[in-house]
Amino acid sequence: MIRRAALIPAIAALALLSGCGAKVQSAMDPAGPEAGRIAGLMWFFIILVSVIFVVVMACVLYALFRGPRGIEQEPLERTHAPSTATEEKLTRNVTAATVATVVILFGLLVASVVTGRAISSLGTAKNGITVEVTGNQWWWYVRYPNDIAQWTVVTANEIHIPVGRPVQIRGTSNDVIHSFWVPNLNGKIDLIPSRVTERWIQADRPGRFRGQCAEFCGLQHAHMALWVIADPPDKFQAWMNAQLQAPQPPGDPELQRGQQVFLNHACVYCHTIGGTSAMASVGPDLTHFGSRSTIAAGTLPNTKGNLGGWITDPQNVKPGNHMAVVDIKADELQPLIDYLESLK
Amino acid sequence: MTLPMEPAVRDIDVERERENLKRAWSSPGGIWGWLSVTTHHAIGMRYIVTAFIFLLAGGVEAFLMRLQLSRPDNTFLSPDKYNQLFTMHGTTMMFLFAVPVMEGMGVYLVPLMLGTRNVAFPRLNAFGYYMYLAGGIFLYWGLFSNSGPDAGWFAYTPLSGPMYSAGKRVDVWAQMITFTEISAMCVAAELIATILKMRAPGMSLNRIPLFCWSMLVQSWMVLFAMPAVMIASTVFLLNDRTIGTHFVNPAEGGDPLLYQHVFWFFGHPEVYIIFIPALGMISSIVDTDTRRAIFGYPAMVLSVVATAFIGFGLWVHHMFATGLPQIGEAYFTAASMMIGITSGVQIFCWIVTIWTGRVRWSAAMHFVLGFFFIFVAGGLTGIILAAIPLDLQVHDTFFVVAHFHYVLIGGALFPLFGGFHHWFPKFTGRMIDERIGKVTFWLLFVGFNLTFFPMHLLGLYGMTRRIYTYGSEMGWDHGNALATAGASIIAVGGILFIINVFVSRKSGALAGANPLDSGTLEWATTSPPEPFNFVLLPVATSRYPLWTLPKERLAVTGVRSDRREVLVTTVMDAEPRHRYPLPHSSIWPFISALLIAIALTGSVFAFGWYYIGFIVAAIGLIGWFWPWRRREARS
Amino acid sequence: MIPSRTIDVSHLPDVEINDQAPLWWGQVSLAVVEGTTFCVLIATYFYVRLSMDMWPPPGVQLPHELLPAIELAFLLVSCIGSYMASEAAKKDDRGGMILGLGINLLLALVAVGIRAVEWYQWNWKWTTTAYGSVTWSIMFLHTVDVAADLVYTTVLIVILLVRRAGPYQRLGVHVDSIVWYFLVAIWIPLYVTLFWGPYIVGAP
Repeated sequence: MIRRAALIPAIAALALLSGCGAKVQSAMDPAGPEAGRIAGLMWFFIILVSVIFVVVMACVLYALFRGPRGIEQEPLERTHAPSTATEEKLTRNVTAATVATVVILFGLLVASVVTGRAISSLGTAKNGITVEVTGNQWWWYVRYPNDIAQWTVVTANEIHIPVGRPVQIRGTSNDVIHSFWVPNLNGKIDLIPSRVTERWIQADRPGRFRGQCAEFCGLQHAHMALWVIADPPDKFQAWMNAQLQAPQPPGDPELQRGQQVFLNHACVYCHTIGGTSAMASVGPDLTHFGSRSTIAAGTLPNTKGNLGGWITDPQNVKPGNHMAVVDIKADELQPLIDYLESLK
Repeated sequence: MTLPMEPAVRDIDVERERENLKRAWSSPGGIWGWLSVTTHHAIGMRYIVTAFIFLLAGGVEAFLMRLQLSRPDNTFLSPDKYNQLFTMHGTTMMFLFAVPVMEGMGVYLVPLMLGTRNVAFPRLNAFGYYMYLAGGIFLYWGLFSNSGPDAGWFAYTPLSGPMYSAGKRVDVWAQMITFTEISAMCVAAELIATILKMRAPGMSLNRIPLFCWSMLVQSWMVLFAMPAVMIASTVFLLNDRTIGTHFVNPAEGGDPLLYQHVFWFFGHPEVYIIFIPALGMISSIVDTDTRRAIFGYPAMVLSVVATAFIGFGLWVHHMFATGLPQIGEAYFTAASMMIGITSGVQIFCWIVTIWTGRVRWSAAMHFVLGFFFIFVAGGLTGIILAAIPLDLQVHDTFFVVAHFHYVLIGGALFPLFGGFHHWFPKFTGRMIDERIGKVTFWLLFVGFNLTFFPMHLLGLYGMTRRIYTYGSEMGWDHGNALATAGASIIAVGGILFIINVFVSRKSGALAGANPLDSGTLEWATTSPPEPFNFVLLPVATSRYPLWTLPKERLAVTGVRSDRREVLVTTVMDAEPRHRYPLPHSSIWPFISALLIAIALTGSVFAFGWYYIGFIVAAIGLIGWFWPWRRREARS
Repeated sequence: MIPSRTIDVSHLPDVEINDQAPLWWGQVSLAVVEGTTFCVLIATYFYVRLSMDMWPPPGVQLPHELLPAIELAFLLVSCIGSYMASEAAKKDDRGGMILGLGINLLLALVAVGIRAVEWYQWNWKWTTTAYGSVTWSIMFLHTVDVAADLVYTTVLIVILLVRRAGPYQRLGVHVDSIVWYFLVAIWIPLYVTLFWGPYIVGAP
């Protein structure tokens, strides 16, 4: 009965491991060398500890359920201790098991240290690029620094990287401790105010990889996600060029109206849109908002419908977040949405 | 021993001794009497019952969280409520349940196992309990007055600091810790003095029960670890929040990581403080239910001591993701893995004990089996977490939640429930229903695994901790649904246990002194023990005094029975040194605790209350130690 | 169950004024708690030092040396009074206990007075960067401990004068001495940290 009961978690494990459900943000689905090394080490550890677990439990069950042995002849009831010969044998067994434990743990330690150093060495390649990430409650400020000021790209909640090149994430925080984590690419790194921490990531295949804040940071910690999008080098360059494009004033009168709505409301107290008078940096930079795939740090897909809902009632989507409710009249909302979506 | 021995049975009037002792050890009635009690059984049982109530509270909090997480995008709880719930759940379980319940079991059982009548400092014992109770009430008063802490049970700064956590919530959390840590340190001090100085003659250090070794080691750990959390919570965090210090404010030279270092310097030993007494309980159950002495007593003792030492050197493994230098971090990987050796030795010794014993398949042994299964699994996932590259992926995910519930529930709660079933006859004088006990075990075991095993996978699939909801596109639905279903089964198991306790107390078979034929001294007296424990204090000539042949049993005479008196013996060999009169009932521990509790409550509003606290503590302690005209003994 | 043999301990005393008393271990526990607390604070002092460029920070004076050294001397000498009291306690000499405690109290009060003067001259507060926070915390916590022990000593003297000098009071005197030795001993590393720290690890 015990053996059957012990199978329940095993079956559950297999069911879940076989992947019923998509693996959107999975450490076991590596897309780059760092995450690949980690996943390999993880499999090694999981298999080894599973074997150890089975062996130990087998010993426990055997000890509990074995049939009567010669030991029964020993006057256990009277002395409550087996013979010296038995105790010596047990001493040998326990010693052997202890030695085996030490050896195995030492091997695991070596594997861990070796993997750690291998991952660190991946981050020193010469053709890397640097991306600065600053955690805020509850969004990600992203900056591609450049010695030449006009070639600096600022965006939010979405990071584009070229396939096959190492990317150094340099992180800090504007408020509380956050943690930058994109499991498909590498382990996490905390973003700590007044400190700069770093983590190298690299994607070896194109794709969209979701990340999430992994250090409890307040009310909307659950809705602080980000997307890392790995593109082939030419597509990446095209994206960078588009981001570097100085935004033109909108030609379409509807879009012009939308821009006016934006500039006449409280939006300008928090957001920047390049080429306009809105230059605040309390909230995310919206200069190329239309090119991003999500709203509110990965909370909603970036569609016109969702954007309307977000602007009219941000507290409904992300209760407690710092975006104020701005009073936009019904006839102003659509032009505003169209304008923002036009900012590619 | 070189004391005079009487070769034959002395003409001891045992009945008259018993009458004297009953009078000397009686407690006054009424509320005043209840508040003045200083006997260790009463105080120990209060700790256990109070802790159990907090266990239920923590369980309700967990269940509410599971309901919220059972479906994606659920709106059952707002983010603010959810954040308060997970903070309260962690805080309640760690500070108000796990440590106090182990202390309570220690306070109740240690004097009995050592063959003495009370702990070394009975009034301090009572004081510690009232401080603990006050702390729990303080925290829950905060919760119910919308000042429940919401920054996590660990309250990292700057989130918990003055800028990002407004109001009194985190202040309540920080000062509650002061209450519970004072309580823990009181119990630690008295257990150390009791275990080292008040043992039965002949019970040298290498003969004390393994449970007493556990409590001794745990008590030393408490003394070294608890000050760190008081500093982190009160000196650093509470002062930064209320009087403008800058310990953790980076703008003025402080550092959020300072808080983490000092907190985890306490936080890691804390889990061993919870877990080590449970190891002692496993030994007590296994030796009785296999009818043999635990194999490898010296190895067991050395393992526990080594665990304690190594346990103080692991704390940075909670901080691997903070960007500390890699070389330093690697040391903590090695230490975190090395501690698996000390736990492993104990497991091997128990396995061979069971292998060569004759197993009685009691409800308590079921819980021992559950311990093996769950704790070993948890320890192995701990090895995974010790490896830095792996930790950097699963840190702060549900993988860690799974790990620590496996080691804490498997390593502490299952042994505790085993202990409840094992010592139930001693506590209540009646046998617990074994059949219901076994069903309880299966419900808890299956429910636990169903709840927490899927969390390993959820963590590997990216589900971070402390999130009040998640989207359905993440693929976490099934794991969460399973976990919530498991939680329901755990709840049923818990309810069944409570029913079993009440029913068995009323109508269980009467237990004698030693219904399980156990070997240690707590079973050498009535069930439940009389307030003075033994009419004649026993003498121990082996590790299992009740298993030595009857004609070798010895006892102590000459300890006065007309007042509360015990025997003090030497540390190493337990040779009698002097007799030690213990205090009778006293209201002063309660008064002192009440006054100090008021002052500590005030201190979260104004610093001046600390000065008031100093004065009232002085008043309470002066009353406590003043040589009032004592109720003199009648001869 | 009637035992077959007994050990008779009725001739043993009911108190010993030395480290055989359980209370001695209680004092050890207290010393461990307090000692750990202060060690963590000393470690905090040096940790904070690592995050700051100037030490002491701008605007904070360098520590004075004369008064703290005199205070330390008085604290050390006051231990003589404790020792006298403790020895008198072992001999059940009530007059000797009162004298010893009195000397200890007097010298300790002088030391505390000097400390008050020195502390008052600090030109920074606990809100003056983390340096202020940690130095004030160390000073405050140790002073509270000292004050508590002085209250304890005073009450003991009163009890010895107006009540009796029974075994518990003698044990209390012995325990008071141990506590005082500890408080003075732990002050030495704290004193070094607070008053020599900026000279050892400082930066202009």
